[in-house]
Amino acid sequence: MTGMRFVDEFRDPELAQMLGTQITALVDPGRHYKIMEVCGGHTHTIYRYGVQDHLPENIELVHGPGCPVCVIPMGRVDDGIAIAERDGVILTCFGDMMRVPGGRGSFLEANAAGADIRMVYSPLDALRIARQNPDRQVVFYAIGFETTAPSTALTVLRAKQEGITNFSIFCNHVTIIPAIKAILDSPDLRLDAFLGPGHVSTVIGCRPYEFIPRDHGKPLVCAGFEPLDLLQSVYMIMQQLATGRAEVENQYGRVVHYDGNPTALAVLGDVFSLRPFFEWRGLGSISHSALQLSERYAEFDAELRYDLPGVRVADPKACQCGEVLKGVLKPWECKVFGTACTPETPIGTCMVSSEGACAAYYNYGQYAKQRIHLEV
Amino acid sequence: MTNGASAGMATDAPVCAVTDGCITCGDVAVALTVVDTAGADARCRDEQGREEIVATELVGVVGPGDRILVHAGVAIERLAGVK
Repeated sequence: MTGMRFVDEFRDPELAQMLGTQITALVDPGRHYKIMEVCGGHTHTIYRYGVQDHLPENIELVHGPGCPVCVIPMGRVDDGIAIAERDGVILTCFGDMMRVPGGRGSFLEANAAGADIRMVYSPLDALRIARQNPDRQVVFYAIGFETTAPSTALTVLRAKQEGITNFSIFCNHVTIIPAIKAILDSPDLRLDAFLGPGHVSTVIGCRPYEFIPRDHGKPLVCAGFEPLDLLQSVYMIMQQLATGRAEVENQYGRVVHYDGNPTALAVLGDVFSLRPFFEWRGLGSISHSALQLSERYAEFDAELRYDLPGVRVADPKACQCGEVLKGVLKPWECKVFGTACTPETPIGTCMVSSEGACAAYYNYGQYAKQRIHLEV
Repeated sequence: MTNGASAGMATDAPVCAVTDGCITCGDVAVALTVVDTAGADARCRDEQGREEIVATELVGVVGPGDRILVHAGVAIERLAGVK
């Protein structure tokens, strides 16, 4: 089998073992360490490649809120369905959104009932659908953190330049810093350090995280997405903790500039403004944590174009996604994990996207492994 | 999305299979090499030879051989020069 350039060297098992040994040498055996990986992509890598198996038992990786699908509240799903049910509307969205359960079902179920909801890879694909269907209204259901928001912003700029009038955005973009602040302020959780989201940091840089060591005394290392990226990042965190330092460091230097991408940040600042409040599934309402289209681009704002229910829908009582998203519960500790809630029939959003902590556990066998540990 | 490069082709029917995770939803980005450019768009290729049309406004002027990081059909960073 041919190797993959730029990838194989970050999955070398011997190097992984060596890093694991070096990490173990830095550990205080009498201390339990909790390190939160903020990004759902990291969660996926950790379980896909068994990263935790290279770490000593007293280093616990805690899953954070960084899966964009997992933090969408049910009421916003219902709003999307309400848009899609209007005559002449084509609703477009990323693939994982199709199965996210709302109060009235999922996009997939709405499609089966007659709505026209299409999966796209990029918001630019949604704009192309609008060009191809001038007699229809095309709405893009935008989700994601600062990695994805630039693609939505660029699409809005292109739509305005081209004078396209049958295209709009239902904006659910969120920003990572307020979510980290909410977690740091949560009384439920004691964390020692953070693995910073690599691709979000490509856009925003490392500087916005500096409040974490400064105000909370905890290290953060911006981490890449290959197994050795994560192990090296844990090693960098453990070096800081072992020497009493708390700093922002950048392990993902081959991709992330410390100041991010200034052009992308300028475009974001032009196209979007901060919402006063936004509800995050599991974390509740967080001030200034989400984006809306700025007044300059109001003509592309689906929330202004359509009358939406805007109803807050409570999560199912059995679902404990909130605790999982905050890292308070491990996925297998949820009452419905693996029984009523599976990737085929998800009750909570964490089981929908493969970057969701519950789906990652379920798909890569951690469930069975943990059950064995519990039974022994 | 099973693969960003192949799924992002400039076809009329983009597909997004969620069985192996969606790179867009997962905040995953892929490194691609520019083959040629047309205005603000660049035809890019991954290591397996799959091609994708990428919007490049956010990373400045690119040319053949440049490597860029792509997310949801948009280049979000140039890979050359980052340490």
